[in-house]
Amino acid sequence: MKRKVEWKFILIFLVIAFSIYFMLPPSEKIKLGLDLKGGMHLVLQVVTDDAVKMERDQEILRLKSLLEDEGIKVGNIYGKGIATIVVEGVPADRESDFDAVIKANFVSNWEYSGVVEGKAELTLKPKVISSIRENAVEEALETIRRRVDEFGIAEPVIQRQGIKGDQIVVELPGVDNPKRVRALIKNTALLELKLVKDGPFPTKEEALKKYGGKLPEDLQILPSKGKGYYVVERAAAVTGRDLKTARRCADKYNLPAVCFQLNAEGARKFEKVTSQNIGRQLAIVLDNVIESAPNIRSTIFDSGIIEGSFTSEEAHDLALILRTGSLPASIKIIEERTIGPSLGADSIRKGLKASILALILVMLFMIVYYNLAGVNATIALLMNMLIIFGALALFRAALTLPGIAGIVLTIGMSVDANVLIFERIREELAAGKSPLAAIDAGFSRAFTTILDANLTTIIAAIFLFSFGTGPIKGFAVTLIIGILASIFTAVFVSKAIFELIYFGKRKVEKISI
Amino acid sequence: MQLFKRPNINFLKAKYIAFFVSAVIIVSGLIFINRNGLNYGIDFVGGTLLQVKFAHPVKIDQIRNDLKEAGFKSAIIQAVENSSDEYIIRVEKMGTGEEEEHLKIAKKIIGVLMTPEEKNLAAQKQNLNLLSEEEIRDILAQGFPEEKAIAWAKKIADLKKKNKIIRSFEELREAGIPKAPLDYLKEKTFLGTVSIMRVEYVGPQVGKILRHKAILATIWALLGMLIYIAFRFKFLYGISSVLTLAHDVLVTLAFIYFLNIEFNLQIVAAILTIVGYSINDTIVVFDRVRENMPAFRKRKEANFDKLLNDSINQTLSRTVLTSGTTLLALLALYLFGGEVIKGFALTMLIGVIVGTYSSIYQSCAWLSVWHKFYGLKGLLK
Repeated sequence: MKRKVEWKFILIFLVIAFSIYFMLPPSEKIKLGLDLKGGMHLVLQVVTDDAVKMERDQEILRLKSLLEDEGIKVGNIYGKGIATIVVEGVPADRESDFDAVIKANFVSNWEYSGVVEGKAELTLKPKVISSIRENAVEEALETIRRRVDEFGIAEPVIQRQGIKGDQIVVELPGVDNPKRVRALIKNTALLELKLVKDGPFPTKEEALKKYGGKLPEDLQILPSKGKGYYVVERAAAVTGRDLKTARRCADKYNLPAVCFQLNAEGARKFEKVTSQNIGRQLAIVLDNVIESAPNIRSTIFDSGIIEGSFTSEEAHDLALILRTGSLPASIKIIEERTIGPSLGADSIRKGLKASILALILVMLFMIVYYNLAGVNATIALLMNMLIIFGALALFRAALTLPGIAGIVLTIGMSVDANVLIFERIREELAAGKSPLAAIDAGFSRAFTTILDANLTTIIAAIFLFSFGTGPIKGFAVTLIIGILASIFTAVFVSKAIFELIYFGKRKVEKISI
Repeated sequence: MQLFKRPNINFLKAKYIAFFVSAVIIVSGLIFINRNGLNYGIDFVGGTLLQVKFAHPVKIDQIRNDLKEAGFKSAIIQAVENSSDEYIIRVEKMGTGEEEEHLKIAKKIIGVLMTPEEKNLAAQKQNLNLLSEEEIRDILAQGFPEEKAIAWAKKIADLKKKNKIIRSFEELREAGIPKAPLDYLKEKTFLGTVSIMRVEYVGPQVGKILRHKAILATIWALLGMLIYIAFRFKFLYGISSVLTLAHDVLVTLAFIYFLNIEFNLQIVAAILTIVGYSINDTIVVFDRVRENMPAFRKRKEANFDKLLNDSINQTLSRTVLTSGTTLLALLALYLFGGEVIKGFALTMLIGVIVGTYSSIYQSCAWLSVWHKFYGLKGLLK
């Protein structure tokens, strides 16, 4: 019985060659997961209510200016909840005009049921709210991606998750300065330039007292970085949206500062405000904290400087986040895992030790139990390992600590296919078949069992993949690759080796199994 | 070598004893879990976890007392691989709902672990053992050219990576840091007696979603198995496989409770893998049942239990061998894989043993019970 086994070996060598080619050198090609390399894993919750409120507040401004244009004087306009605008004191004789303004400008996005006793309520439609939330998460994701990219972190993972899709997972391998990165990602970086009305006051209460305990609607009190509180105008003269660029620079004392430039629209607004308010203070507000409040000495056109007590690094990072845009909503860290590089290195050492030991134990066991056929199985096993690493390198899939566990498990489980076949061959031999017929029968009859058994494990691994986060996904990936590889090595490679050894010979009396 | 030579064991004779034993384990496990809850890790209940390395051995009781005094009454402290200088400290959520509460908790714990002298030093200088490579570089760059600062910082970081903690400036000298930068570092920094290897924080809202997802993933995996087996074999075989898998999951959970294994993400992974592994064993036996079916039908006095028993016996050596190699590999992982993976390895060890037992005493036993009441209806292909 002479068979053509040459082409089988060509295929086998090709698989080996490709696996080795893809994984060399391993230190570059095998991507390590966070838990092995060290790094930072964050889950961020986008507070989408913020975005809804912000949209609502913008609309309040629009409504005010529209009513002003029409000459309708109303008592009070304010926000309620997160998505409602309340208008009070609509004059009885102008109700129809008010109605007309709302109907012409607001009804597409707002629910409105008319003026009742001089009072009207507008509420954002649920569809609009959910689209605002959706956009906020998308925008936050993009902003964070830009910040991480500009900061220069290699191979970050940034993606959405969560039942409502309002969470963002950020994985930053190799980061070992969590404090700086946290600030980089989390700061809303909403830059606003607001005119100062009064201040500074030592406490918030003191500021309030001056206004008789209740601040007019168009003013607000903001804390200043360092000292006290200011009363400023609620409406910002210019915001970060009007920013063209920002960079780290030095102030007149040669201390680190951030210089920014405004776009054409921003410059026009800025010029108007500064020219009309020479002598007054302009507060530079970042995330609702006043960084500084310089005097306006002359008309400024399109550039400004933020001075504060920055370190050079802080100035760099602030310029970066201003440049990359503000977040549309605030962000809460709901999960944070920082793995130091020393733990990662430790895990690699231990994982490697356990894998090698498992490999040796299983190989010894197979050789002792199946003799020459056991050697055949160990060759298949080693090839399986090669394929796993080759595939990991090819797909740029990260090797994680659970991933190593998956490999160890594969070492133990993948010989199952060999065992199934060898036991079958033994049975066929015991039933009186000739050695070669027994080998053929063993392989063909064990095949369906192997397929069924392994496919079900893959089904479980796929569900695991969909459940897990980073490291667990790594486990599922190595398990799936390992199972697929084991079908190939046990069924195809082992058979080819048997054929090479026995099928060329004229007469086979006995096989070593 | 051969473990079993033509075994002929009447496994199914003992099926009711097996049912009873399994039922006792499952019911007692469920009762206790329901009453006391599992030993949930921070993945599921939220909280803060720190893994720390001390420069010198520290007694676990001392850490426990210090933490208690600082207000962390329910802190769980665990020595890493029985060492006396490396510990994992777990604190449940405090629930103040403060912004970045976890950072404050982590900071406070580190404060507790420091010696009084260290705390004084920390007020004046930076702790070299808590600085990142980048921060070390920045400090060195203030006194030396940048490229040198980069190279030295990397050397220091590598040493820390290897030893987990820097015990003395002498170690840095031996690692090749010249005298000038060493003196500079001595002046600007000090060596604390504790270094932080990992900090993990999970918010309370995460755990709830995760628990939900874990249960869902397990149920989906079981359903997937049911459909596959029902399609490849027969519906009854699918049902019996799923009962077997549910049994495996519940028995493993009971052991997780009784052995007080920390229940975290990895354990969920282990349980799902056990589902995948255990079904292997079941399928191998079912496959043999299917194969023996034609011969069985030809016989006059058909004994279904004998068919099952024969099939189990014929595949017995394979079942034992595969479990054996898997257990060998897992044992290596359990003993040498390190603390982080230990719970996973232990759970898998239990699961593989349970899965092997159940492929004989659950999946086939259920078919046998069905046969007793309903005959061969639905059992033959």
